Amino acid sequence: MKQFAVVAPADLASATRMLAEPNRSALAGGVDLLDMLKQELAAPAELVNLKALGGLDRIESVPGGVLRIGPLVTLNQLAAAPAVRERHPALADSAAQAATPQVRNLATVGGNLAQRPRCWYFRNPDIVCLKKGGTKCYAVAGLNRYHAILGGGPSFIVHPSNLAPALIACDASLALNGPDGERKIAVGDFFTSPKVDPRRENVLKPGEIIAAIEVPAPPTGARSAYLEAREKQSFDWPLAAAVAILALNRAGEVVHARIVMGAVAPIPWRAPSAEKILLGAKLDRALADRAAEAALAGAAPLAHNAYKIPIARAMVRRAILRAGGVADEPA
Amino acid sequence: MAASSSNGFRVIGTRPIRHDGVDKVTGRAKYGADYAFPGMLHGKVLRSPHPHANIKSIKIDKALALPGVKAIVTSADLPALPDKMEAAGEQAINLNHLSMNILARGKALYDGHPIAAVAATSPHIADEALRLIEVEYELLPPVMTVEDAMKPGATILLPSLRNKEDGPDKETNVAAHLQFKRGDVAEGFKQADYVIEREFKTAMVHQGYIEPHNAVGIYNADGHATIYCSTQGSFVVRALSAAVLGIAEGKIKVVPAEIGGGFGGKTTIYLEPLSVLLSQKTGHPVKLTMTRAEVLRATGPTSGSTIRCKMGATKDGKLVAAQCWLAYEAGAFPGSPVGAGAMTIVAPYNIPNILVDAYDVVVNRPKTAAYRAPGASNAAMASETVLDELAEKCGIDPLEMRLMNGSEEGTPQTVGPPFKRIGFKETVEAIKNSPHYKSKLTGANRGRGVASGFWFNVGLQSSATVNIHTDGTVSVVIGSVDIGGTRAAQAMIAAEVLGVDINDVRPTIADTDSIGHTDVTGGSRTCFATGWAVYEAAQDCVRQLKERAAKLWEKKPDEVVFENGMLSPAQPGGELKPMSIKQIASRLARTGGPIVGRATVNARGVGPAFATVCVDVEVDPDTGKTQILRATIAQDAGKAIHPSYVEGQMQGGMAQGLGWGLNEEYFYDDRGILRNTGLLDYRMPTCLDLPAIETAIVEVPTPGHPLGIRGVGEVSIVPPPAALANAIYHAVGVRMTELPMSPPRLLKAILKKRAAGEAQAAAAD
Ligand SMILES: Cc1cc2nc3c(=O)[nH]c(=O)nc-3n(C[C@H](O)[C@H](O)[C@H](O)COP(=O)(O)OP(=O)(O)OC[C@H]3O[C@@H](n4cnc5c(N)ncnc54)[C@H](O)[C@@H]3O)c2cc1C
Ligand code: SF4
Repeated sequence: MKQFAVVAPADLASATRMLAEPNRSALAGGVDLLDMLKQELAAPAELVNLKALGGLDRIESVPGGVLRIGPLVTLNQLAAAPAVRERHPALADSAAQAATPQVRNLATVGGNLAQRPRCWYFRNPDIVCLKKGGTKCYAVAGLNRYHAILGGGPSFIVHPSNLAPALIACDASLALNGPDGERKIAVGDFFTSPKVDPRRENVLKPGEIIAAIEVPAPPTGARSAYLEAREKQSFDWPLAAAVAILALNRAGEVVHARIVMGAVAPIPWRAPSAEKILLGAKLDRALADRAAEAALAGAAPLAHNAYKIPIARAMVRRAILRAGGVADEPA
Repeated sequence: MAASSSNGFRVIGTRPIRHDGVDKVTGRAKYGADYAFPGMLHGKVLRSPHPHANIKSIKIDKALALPGVKAIVTSADLPALPDKMEAAGEQAINLNHLSMNILARGKALYDGHPIAAVAATSPHIADEALRLIEVEYELLPPVMTVEDAMKPGATILLPSLRNKEDGPDKETNVAAHLQFKRGDVAEGFKQADYVIEREFKTAMVHQGYIEPHNAVGIYNADGHATIYCSTQGSFVVRALSAAVLGIAEGKIKVVPAEIGGGFGGKTTIYLEPLSVLLSQKTGHPVKLTMTRAEVLRATGPTSGSTIRCKMGATKDGKLVAAQCWLAYEAGAFPGSPVGAGAMTIVAPYNIPNILVDAYDVVVNRPKTAAYRAPGASNAAMASETVLDELAEKCGIDPLEMRLMNGSEEGTPQTVGPPFKRIGFKETVEAIKNSPHYKSKLTGANRGRGVASGFWFNVGLQSSATVNIHTDGTVSVVIGSVDIGGTRAAQAMIAAEVLGVDINDVRPTIADTDSIGHTDVTGGSRTCFATGWAVYEAAQDCVRQLKERAAKLWEKKPDEVVFENGMLSPAQPGGELKPMSIKQIASRLARTGGPIVGRATVNARGVGPAFATVCVDVEVDPDTGKTQILRATIAQDAGKAIHPSYVEGQMQGGMAQGLGWGLNEEYFYDDRGILRNTGLLDYRMPTCLDLPAIETAIVEVPTPGHPLGIRGVGEVSIVPPPAALANAIYHAVGVRMTELPMSPPRLLKAILKKRAAGEAQAAAAD
């Protein structure tokens, strides 16, 4: 690990000013950043400790039914907050199922969205792959069992955030604070496809920090579900995750649909084709099957990860059925 | 506190609080990495990024010039050692291979192979220096699997390696071919109504001890050296380090630290000689500790393997023949546990005709080390699932099948004399009678599997001293480190013999200068053999106590009886009052001085261990994920000294076996580089992945051992992978032949079966 200093900014403005200097990193829970430092995958001269800033660790209900989540809210806080549990159970579940209890006590929502990928070539300090400025993605011809099946290339990471798909499905937006002031973007626009730039995962500019996450009130009658498949019960990442938010009318027809997958693509992967199949149709198991089929229709597996396709499909199908309140009978 | 137990024992069989418990839960216990000394330097190891390469040159000048760097060593600093099996302490070992594993000589043989070691004033400077060492490699093709290594014309790892069969002129990657034979398998299979033959593959897995390897070496100007380290065998560290360094064994003292897990992986050396060598060069104490990635890349996991197993049975379930072929990855140097695999694979059963061929094969992976019943889990995965299939064919309950064919006293072993009294069938009965097996398992995609396992156990040498203090308290000094309750068990044995309270006994683990030779904690030998030494040493105290009482009473020693901690005259009556140990302890000075009981053993008559397990699973057929619903293990402990720690060994081994079965796997890519070098990607089970494992201790005493003890540390890891495979079959109808049975692999098998079923259905339409 290289030497570094930790600095405590007095307020948000000075934090963003400090972070605009070259070779600075924002420090939140430190779960990912410290790993990166220890592996010498990052060697900033200064860590700007966001925890020195007050008031960023709260979940507030603002008029209009919007929940304003501070970036320093921990995953456990998010998972347990009654307002989140009641209004956005999928979001609460996405936090509750991440990592381990210890990690969830430290990991923050802001850090979760801005964490770096888990690709084992990326995490190996001896390898300079495309993402680190090299010329080659080692996953393409290498061991790629945990890599992308959708939207891959030239880098094939899967975005590691559990929260991101759930936030996108909730139509949430981010307030980004930078030296030039604040801008607001949809969470869905926050992530950068490797096709645009394989070296980054999001649109944060130098000095910018996630200052708040805003989640609007769910549409009337909407119900949500988050499901993920893992190899282990805990201390593990999803092989595939799916969020479904559905609202049905009295006739049982779908009037609002959001289907977003996690751990399948370099960015959280929304499935508009699945949403289209659902919208206006009466929800039953056959419809869920068709929507799940559509969600994975474009999948292009690498040599070792085709198994993720049926798993992702199962997660989408089950999330739809759970959100729609339809029993999932064993196949 | 210590409630009296059954079977006439007062302390043995009870569950007192362990003596090291407070230190461990308060964080005061000193593990290897906790040691620090004035002036201490920090060492780091440069490791090969290539799995197979000739080392053309190593340039260290730039690294040496970095301020803070004090010394750099390479294999040129170690003596060249003979390339043949030689005695080092108590084991026969190829010292050249051992030395080449400490620091590569001429060739790098696996990803992570040590090339050089640096000592510097801080670990960060040492790290920095590693990057300044320039190594020129000539890359060679990596040989990663036993199949590739055994192919004619395969790239050769060790040019001097020969095996008996191929003769002195043939270069080879096969270090040994062993064959075990009984009866005539061809004839045997003729008698069989059902024959099942399958090929299995098991992945290389690591013990996963939480504490990484560590060592502090202090070389003294007088030529003596001290090593502080976490190890399963301080005397092994001494003998092997002395051999590698070319120092007389008696000039090294090894002080064993508390150990944060070993499971066999800490029975050899890695950093220890480097710490001494760097200390010798710098005149400072030098400490080295490994990172998790170093532990996974470059310590000794256990072998991945390819096993073919063919077994035949008559219609009524009698096993008549077994033929097995096993090839195990040794890693970069010979010495896989394939021999043990071959000798255990059908050991639980009385089969008249067997033929077992076993191959020890070098590949460009780290040199394997022991892991709990080394080699037996791989083998049992094959034989115990084939047996399950045979039981199904015969329409016989799998436990009945095991009872019908099970080994018992007098059954011939694969090698060696017939079994003495063993408790195999008792473990099967215990599972049969367990609440778990008696319960009904219902629900879709759920299944129950059983399997059994065998492990030899070993005896070997141990020393113990037992001191009676002037206040009547007792100290027990042993050379076995505390793994899983060693202190408590040894103190209990002394307390039992001496009739004193367990809290009046203090157990101490001594360094190699302070206790007689004691072999490594391995082969489940410690409670058995060190326990035997402690038992004898305590008896030695009893003998001396009687002499002292006799002296005070002016009688002959055989006119004194010792019972429950009380000395009394053999002839009751008269005015002589019985004396407790406490009473006589204060009068020792007047009767000849202190009492020290001593004993050493080279323990024979080892009692082999058997276990049978039962596992319920639920498989998600859409994801291939297996959830373990319930798990029970029955194991023969001979005599359980501290039942909680026996249960702990049973549960711990079973937990590891379940992880091995479901998730654990070394991922090497086609370039021979290990990709999962952390515990996020090397998936060991957590407490949430396992149910509370139910235990049934079976006690069939080992004849010959004064307390009937059998080792309990290992056999628990043998049956779980096979039991899981059997349970998965009964849940979703697929016979898994590859480990681990992780979601990708199991899902593939399920989908294949579904596709085959659909094709069949389509054909029928
Ligand atoms: C064992 C384990 C298992 C895990 N499993 C999961 C899982 O299943 N699902 C999952 O989603 N995650 C998982 N994680 C990842 C974990 O959730 C993230 O590492 C964590 O959320 C990061 O948050 P942090 O506050 O610790 O961020 P830090 O480590 O402090 O920061 C991470 C990055 O985000 C940047 N950053 C932090 N806050 C902000 C901000 N407000 N604005 C801009 N940039 C910011 C930092 O500069 C840094 O680059 C796992 C981690 C571990 C160790
Ligand atoms: S997937 Fe991305 S991070 Fe991984 S090797 Fe390829 S480019 Fe690098």
